[in-house]
Amino acid sequence: MTNPSSPGDPAAVTFTWTGIWRGIKHQQPFTPGIFAYGLAFGLVAVQAKLSLMQAAAMSALVYSGSAQVATTGILAAGTSGLAALLWAVFGTVMVMNARYILYSAALRPWLGQISPLKAYTTLFFLGDGGWLLAMRAYEAGEKDAGYVLGTGIATCPAWIGGTVAGAFAVGFAPDPKRLGFDFMLAAFSAAMMTGMFRGRSDLPVMAFAALVALAVSMVAGFGGAVVAAGIAGGVVAWLRAGRAVAP
Amino acid sequence: MMSSSDFLALLAVMAIAAYTCRVLGFMAMRYVPMTARMQAALKATPISVMSGIVALTAYNGGPPEWVALGVVIGLMRIFGNDIIAAFGGIAAVALMRATGF
Repeated sequence: MTNPSSPGDPAAVTFTWTGIWRGIKHQQPFTPGIFAYGLAFGLVAVQAKLSLMQAAAMSALVYSGSAQVATTGILAAGTSGLAALLWAVFGTVMVMNARYILYSAALRPWLGQISPLKAYTTLFFLGDGGWLLAMRAYEAGEKDAGYVLGTGIATCPAWIGGTVAGAFAVGFAPDPKRLGFDFMLAAFSAAMMTGMFRGRSDLPVMAFAALVALAVSMVAGFGGAVVAAGIAGGVVAWLRAGRAVAP
Repeated sequence: MMSSSDFLALLAVMAIAAYTCRVLGFMAMRYVPMTARMQAALKATPISVMSGIVALTAYNGGPPEWVALGVVIGLMRIFGNDIIAAFGGIAAVALMRATGF
């Protein structure tokens, strides 16, 4: 397989403030949606009898909307005994966030070129929108790994601020659905997918990923479906790449 | 209301689980040889994830989501700018929901 545009040249990978700033700027369109999601989590958390500080601490340290909402559901339902609760929560967070395992694997060729401290700090902030942006930028020739950190930290204020606002505003908050904010991730996915589309040879990867996502969503919810889509597309690409280099 | 020591234990477990997912793939790939095939597979994951998200949205949605996805793809092909395209789609969803679809 020829691999012209890509990755590969380790010497070129940098990690600069300029890159971080570029990532922060490019991530901005996602922030209204993140804020709305934060609002929703804040509302749910207060209803599950968490305090404002507890909800905010969760958003700051877990930094993962779907996992936090699911966990709060477990808390609200109530479980017998702390140990059982902790195991249930651990399992839930791992399942909801399994897609991040895939995301961080895909970042290896890039973040593997910077110091472990920088790489592992960057990975703390990993999220759906930022990862998609960063991967697209990488394919378009971005070498500055600061970009990944920028996209990750850019959503901090919106996420934590949204959580706090939601915890305060029980009863006042507008329905994010009415504003179409729940469509944010889908909208950017569709836009970036169209932008990354390189022609007919991408179709088998995309079609198989879409089919597998639909099938898996029947049993495993959104997080599971996204992981499955990523793996399915990767397998197709893996098989095709093999065919192309076969002697 | 849970006691604050129980909450701290809960918070620690959640934070550890979330961070583990974020670094696990990155750590594992250190031991996987970066062959041309592996590179192709990793390179294909973003567009696969996007296709999956779009398919799930279309499947779980109704006319507002279908029209909006069409708007996004159309605007993207015309302007080549994902911010214009995405917000066009969000506006389409909000508009259609407001008009009762």
